[in-house]
Amino acid sequence: MSREEYDEYFKILEISPDASLFEIKNAYLRLKKLYSTESPVIAPIAEEFPKKRRKEILKEIEEAYSKIIALLGNEHESLYREEPSAPGKISEEEKAESISFSGPVLRQIREKLGIQLHEVCLDTKIRVEHLENIENEKYEALPPEPYLKVHIKAYANLLLLNPTKVAEDYLKRYREWKEGQPDE
Amino acid sequence: MTSPRKERQGEIWAIGGGKGGTGKTFITSCMGTYLAQKENRVVLIDVDIGGANLHSFFGIHKPGKSLTNFFENGSPLQELTVKTGIDNMQLISGDVYSLASDNIKFTQKLKLFRHITKLNAQYVLIDLGAGSHNNTLDTFLMADKMIAILVPEMIAVENMYHFIKNALFRKVKMSLRSYGFREIVEHVWERRKRYGIRNLKELIEWLGNSFSYIGDILDQELSSFKIYLILNKVRSPDDIVIGSSMKSALLKFLGIDIDFVGYIEYDDSVWRSIRNQQPFMLHYSSSRCTEEIEDFTENLIQGKEISLLRA
Repeated sequence: MSREEYDEYFKILEISPDASLFEIKNAYLRLKKLYSTESPVIAPIAEEFPKKRRKEILKEIEEAYSKIIALLGNEHESLYREEPSAPGKISEEEKAESISFSGPVLRQIREKLGIQLHEVCLDTKIRVEHLENIENEKYEALPPEPYLKVHIKAYANLLLLNPTKVAEDYLKRYREWKEGQPDE
Repeated sequence: MTSPRKERQGEIWAIGGGKGGTGKTFITSCMGTYLAQKENRVVLIDVDIGGANLHSFFGIHKPGKSLTNFFENGSPLQELTVKTGIDNMQLISGDVYSLASDNIKFTQKLKLFRHITKLNAQYVLIDLGAGSHNNTLDTFLMADKMIAILVPEMIAVENMYHFIKNALFRKVKMSLRSYGFREIVEHVWERRKRYGIRNLKELIEWLGNSFSYIGDILDQELSSFKIYLILNKVRSPDDIVIGSSMKSALLKFLGIDIDFVGYIEYDDSVWRSIRNQQPFMLHYSSSRCTEEIEDFTENLIQGKEISLLRA
């Protein structure tokens, strides 16, 4: 993808090219809703701004979003595989682990996306304290597994990760810890 | 932060938006108070012809001097300021005593604009009347920051489109006229069917594509066409979304990029302070609305938009 194409996609989503993934997703959902439903903002100009044009815009929005996500998805991979001296100084040991989604990895991704915990809380309705425990892998303070799984998936979804893969990785570590605990 | 130019000559903010009763005057009085509290010299001007009432927001019943003195006796604008009761802030009252002020001559208007730019203030806030009259549009267009106030109702949205479309049309017309193109905009617009032009955006594109020098002029002139949007009387998160929706629709529909700078929640204390003629920012200094007003005024000073996470 050329630099111009890349910038154009961001322009369609009305965000700057340095927007975080969170902002990209928000912009996409917001615009999709605006141009696909009857909005009081569109109604007064419906005649001059016909449905056909709005459909074209929707198509552009869909395309821009999927292209940006595909591109950033690739960048994400390289973030953990090709940049040993990336900011944040991930040691070799941690890097090997970070391919699987642990608490610290989730935190790292969240920080890279520029998302605050309270913002995650606003979106997922998971309390900040729980989110902290998830990130810190404070297993003893976490809710029972079925609830935990729902939380992890919602959180992963917000970070634009594959919820099933993240939940699998995370719960694998959780279960390992649990097995090591004396029976109640 | 202020450049040497700004020391000498204040930044001019015009507050308009089309519909009446959206809170233009209230917001002007509040933003002025905040700027004055931050130790800026502020002058508020009420140019709501026939409906001047900015003075009432400070509990002033008879301002004594007004724009009437400027138009009828030629008094210098600087001498027509009255105290607002708030340090660093003065007020020039609207035309409260004259009835024949709806036909201000073009030369008088230019003289008024000249005097406004020379006022001894760091911020000059101009409170416009409702509607899309040419005098209102010209005053809006002469400002450094064009601020539009909207309430989240379909009729207000409709009026705002009308206002912004007219402002943009006038801007295009006047810009080209100042470069010697008389009436080309009107000429093309009247024959828009023949040229396959459906709306203002397409008119601007057509003009730019047909004559490259006009394209250059419009690029330059329209780069300063920046509107800042404030939402008032917001009652739900869906209402707030109207701000970012307006931004998007105006971009895709008119091709202009406005900044959504903030909102004020609906609050009875606003109504109460207006009824009691108390300056809101002083009497409700710890209210949520005061905080919201401070936030967007700060965004306006810094040229920032509201955080997307909150919008």
